[in-house]
Formats: sequence, C-alpha cells, structure tokens
Amino acid sequence: MTAPTAPPQQREDAVRPDIAGWVRRAAKAMAVPIGSVIFAFLVGGVIFAISGSDPVLAYQAMACGGFGLFCFGGETPALQVANTIFFLTPLIAAGLSVAFAFRAGLFNIGVQGQLIVGAILATIVGIRLGNWPGIVLIPLVLLAGIIGGAVWAGIAGVLKAMTGAHEVVTTIMLNYVAYNLLKFLVVNGPMQAPNSSAISLPVSQNAQLPTFIPANSTFFGQPGGVYHVDWGLLIALAGAVLFFFIMRRTALGYEIRAVGQSQRAARYAGVSVRRTIIVTMLISGAFAGLTGALMISGGSLHYLYSDLANDSTGFDGIAVALLGLNSAIGVVLASILFGALHAGGSVMQSDAHISGRIVQILQAVILFSLAANFLRTLKLRLPGPGRKVAEPSGEEAVQDEFQAEVSSAATDIDGKA
Amino acid sequence: MDLIGQLLHLFVSGDFWQLALRNAALLSLPALGGVICERSGVVNIAMEGMMLTGAFFAVVAAQAWHNAFLAVLVAAIAGGLMALIHAVVSIRFHADQIISGIAINIGAIGLTTFLNAKISNFQGLPQVDLSARLPQVNVPLLSNIPFFGEVFFQQNIMVYVAIAALVLGNIMLFRTRLGLRVRAVGEHPQAADTAGVNVYRLRYGAVIVSGLLSGLSGAFLSIGIAYIFNDNMTGGRGYIALAAMIFGKWTPWGAFGACVIFGLGDALGASSGALSVPLYFLQMAPYILVLIVLAGLVGRSTPPAADGVPYTPEAE
Repeated sequence: MTAPTAPPQQREDAVRPDIAGWVRRAAKAMAVPIGSVIFAFLVGGVIFAISGSDPVLAYQAMACGGFGLFCFGGETPALQVANTIFFLTPLIAAGLSVAFAFRAGLFNIGVQGQLIVGAILATIVGIRLGNWPGIVLIPLVLLAGIIGGAVWAGIAGVLKAMTGAHEVVTTIMLNYVAYNLLKFLVVNGPMQAPNSSAISLPVSQNAQLPTFIPANSTFFGQPGGVYHVDWGLLIALAGAVLFFFIMRRTALGYEIRAVGQSQRAARYAGVSVRRTIIVTMLISGAFAGLTGALMISGGSLHYLYSDLANDSTGFDGIAVALLGLNSAIGVVLASILFGALHAGGSVMQSDAHISGRIVQILQAVILFSLAANFLRTLKLRLPGPGRKVAEPSGEEAVQDEFQAEVSSAATDIDGKA
Repeated sequence: MDLIGQLLHLFVSGDFWQLALRNAALLSLPALGGVICERSGVVNIAMEGMMLTGAFFAVVAAQAWHNAFLAVLVAAIAGGLMALIHAVVSIRFHADQIISGIAINIGAIGLTTFLNAKISNFQGLPQVDLSARLPQVNVPLLSNIPFFGEVFFQQNIMVYVAIAALVLGNIMLFRTRLGLRVRAVGEHPQAADTAGVNVYRLRYGAVIVSGLLSGLSGAFLSIGIAYIFNDNMTGGRGYIALAAMIFGKWTPWGAFGACVIFGLGDALGASSGALSVPLYFLQMAPYILVLIVLAGLVGRSTPPAADGVPYTPEAE
C-alpha cells in the first residue's frame, strides 16, 4: 500500500502549504480553460449572427436559463438557478468518474453503462426496502448504486489487468449490455410498472433525497415542488473532496498517478500496475454508479426509464473531465459551466427560438480550443516546465519520466493538458 | 432444444445473412477509416460524429437534388470536413486527440440537430424520396445462386462499396509503398521523417480518409437504410466501429471480423420474432461474445507505437 519513495516536495507541501504559489499555479492552470470558454462564446456569437439570430438576445436568454440573470421572458431567476443545479449534480459525479480513470491513463468511455447498472440496483433497493426509514434507506440506495457501477467498471478493469483487453472496447461493450439489460427490465419486463410503458415504479418516498425547498412551501412565487435541488449536490461535492483526498493525500493516489504517467516507471518504483488498474476502475465505476443513484434518489423522476440508454450524462462526463483537466476542482467548475449551458439552451429555445442544441456546438468549440490551445499559438510561448510532446524512449526515458512525475507531484493540477 | 432448432432455421436462411452482412458493411466503413487513421499515428474516436454529419448532409443533399450519387458525395465531403477539423487541431496544433475526438462527436450532434431544426423549422426533415435512395443492386447471374447469391449478390450498392474499400484499404496498407509509409509514420515518425517521408501530409491524408469513409457510412444509414434523418440517428455505431477497430487489432480484415459479429447480433435482434428468447438478451449477445473472446482468446491488442503522439520535428 505504501509507495516506496514518497516525493519530498509533497511531504514539505503538507507541512507548510505555499498559498501564494498555489494561487499562482491555479491561475495558470485555469487561464487556458477560461480563455477557451471566452473564445467559444465569441465563435457562438458569430454562429448566431450567421444563422440570422440576434447574438445579444441569444446570450441574454442563455444567461437567464443558466444563472437567472437578465431574464426577459417572465422566468423566475431562482428557478433557473435551480435548473442549472439539477443538471450539474450528475455531471459532477460522472465527470469525476471519467477523470479518475484518466489519471491512471485509462479511458473509461463506459460511464453511461455503469450509471445505468447503478441506477437499476438503486431502484431495486429503493423499492424493495421502501418502508425502511430514510436515514438508513438513502445510504443503502446510494451504496447499491455505487456497488453496481463499481462492479460494471470492475469487469473492464479485471480484463485489462489480466488479459490486456483494451478498456475502450470492453467499456463500450459493457455499455450495450447495460442498455439491453435496462430495456429488458423495464420494457414489458419484470420491473415495468403496471399500466405504464417502459418505466419502472418510482422508489419509495423514504428513498428519495430530501430537497432544500419543501414541496408544500412557496419560494419566489413558485410552488416548492418545481425546484429539484436536493442533497445530491452536497453528495456530489463530497465526492469531489474524496477524489481530491485520494489523489493527493494517499499512497493509492500516488500509485494511480504514477501508473498514469508511465506504467514502466511505476513498475520500477514497485507499484503493482495490475492492482492499480483494477482499483482505479472500481473507484471510477463507483463514481459512475453514484451518478446513477443520484439520478434515481434525487432529481425529478425517481424511477427507471428505457430512454436512460439514450441519455448523454455519461458522455458529457467525458467532456467535463477533459475541460476540468482531470482535477476535482476543475470537474466541479466545468460541471457548473456545462450545467448552465444545458439549462440555458432550453430557455434560449423558448425565448429566442434558436435550437437549444447549439450549446453542444459551444461545448465542442470549448473543447477544441482547450485541446489545441489556440491561445498559446496566438501568444508568445511562455517559458515554463517543458511539456514533452514526443516521448523519449529507453531506460533514460523511464528515469526521466519518473523524475518528472516526482517533481511535478505538487503541480499536477495541469493534469493531462 | 426448441431454441437450437429455431436458431438453425435462422442460420440457413439467406435473409438473415443478407441482413447481417449489410449491418457489418455499415460498420466496416468507419472501422476501416479508423484503422487507416490510427495506423498513421492519429487517434480517432470521432467516427461517430463524422458518420452523423454524413448522414445529415446526405439527406439534405438528397432533398435538394433528388440524386443519390450526389448525396453520397456530399456526405463523404461533410465527413471529410469534420475529419479535417480533427486533423488540423491534432496535427497542426498538437492537441490531445481524445479531447478533439470527443469535441467532434458532441459538435456533430449539436451541428446536425441545430441545422435540422433551422432548415425544417423544428419539424424534422421529410422522408427521402425514392429517386434519392441508395438502390439494391442484384449482380447478374451471380445473384441467382441459391443462398450465396442472396447473401452476397443481392445487396445495397454500399455493401459492395464497403467490401471494395476493405480490399483496397488492405492492399494499400500492406502491399504498397504508400501503406508502408503510413505505417512507418504511425510507428516511428522521426525515422520516417529522416528517410524523407512527409509525416504531416500522410497524417492529414489518413485522417481525412477516415472522415470520407465515415461520411459514406452515414449516407448508407440515412439514405440507404432508414430513408430519413433522425437526430443522433447513428446511436453509437461510430463507437461500435471504434471497438471493432481495436478488437481487430488495427487491421482492416480483423476489424471487419468484429463488424460481422455485431452485424449478426443486429440481425438476430431484427429476427427476434422467430426466436423464443427475449429480444434484449439477443441484442446483448454480440457484446457479451466480444467480452468473452477478449477474456479468453485475444487479449492484448497493441496500438501503433506513435498512436496519439503529436509529431514535432524538433523533438529528439
């Protein structure tokens, strides 16, 4: 469990946190994502203008839908903020799932399938044990989801570790197995609710996460029941804290990052690469399963539906992880942005009559400019720690990479950018 | 016992294999594109988005000109343009190719849905009319052979195109100087560059070819099979093609083998009425089969050595 050589910088860090340095690094790390977002909004403005819409009106509607600002269509700002929170909660958990695997150099493209298996188990527990008190039942429901997701991703982890089967293939395959399992259960299957089609019964009231705004109250002139802001947000944020803690303060996190940098170097350092791969996939899947449980126990529906197979939360999680540079804080910030875009898109469609799907074009442009780092090309190159583009090879490289990992242990907020 | 009888009955029916081959061909186009692209050293998970773009623009072009050939051409170009974005971002700007690929996939959903709503005023594009559909072509004489004729020679025109592309792609990659260079660039770009091979040009070419092939596949789906465009109609087929490419160990025929497994699964699902097994278990079958094969037989697949590593001449 213990890493043989604890990096000295990290130990020093723990004793005497260098706040100014941390702020400087954070600002540096965030410059590119924020620049990318601004660039994307400029491109979006051009798209609006070309397609014959008023960019100002469109962005006004989007700001209203996302953050409740500058509303002109009679929306309740508080409700708009609540909608954004509703969308961003599962995105945080899904983004953490993808980011966790990326840290070990694994591409978990199967979050959607893991999320579905988690949601199925969470629903079963939430229905079967429905009359248990909430204080016991809700943790059980979440745990069921976590176990479901972890097992589903764990299959891919074990296959990768044992036979070297590529995790991209196995997780895609497991996605389709999960989609069909879901459809088997709810489309004329054993879990379909009577007198309905393609949905299950809802989980019992006791299994549902408490909301911050009571349903029978009135909040900003709207009945409390329309605000779907529940404890799921806090649970997802707690997940982000846990992610940070595992990555930065445990030997496991160190091993995961070492494997992600170079499997060979990690092996030299005495890390069991196989074990790390399996554990990484289990934890990544646990975050995905948590996402599914939060969508059942929290949110607005509380039941399984067959269209969950076409839902894009798992794939949006990839985008969120990438924009968040695979760090916990980054995932939370990226989720806020994507959640706001998602919520803003629907208001834009109703108020400005532009297809809300244009927010996906914006998301794509954000990712392109993040990946390509257009800004760097525009600006003069900053002299900084060398970002190796082509990997050197041979024994020397192993040494180099290991040194690089050790010395960058404190600055790895840069992730894989 | 009953089930085995039903399956045997299905497996000797020409219709069943005809459908399986058609579905396999649909997947094999983007899978071949992926093989060529990744052999040149550029990771491509964007076949899904390129396919969707092709599917959309095929329908738009079919609507405009009522000509299937033009529609296919437009679809291939549309896929190729999406690929060009991926190429510029990942080759010129040394971007992370996974991020770029995900961006293409998300952007393609956004672009096609946005334009679909814009063009049809939120009504959805109408069905493709008969004159603009990709036809079934029966090869003279050969199509009269019992069983084999039905399976191999009474197919949609795109099935022949897909098989021809596989044959040509395989010859190109492994039997020509061009293919040798493509593979050299994907394995060791520095060495290839030293030997006078233009790394950038080959990579641009390979990425764009993957887009052209994915665009063709999209056209096959929208104007050859469904005759209509639905939002996000590719429904993950590009990701299946990606899996087929890796499962087939980055070889055209290996990828095609995987596509046949998935094609058979689709055909089983479509024929579920003839079987006494729940539909969704049938549809699971190919994916479970691939998992079992990966667990037991095939195992490790190694990508080209420089796959995903942007090339800069100064390095080294």
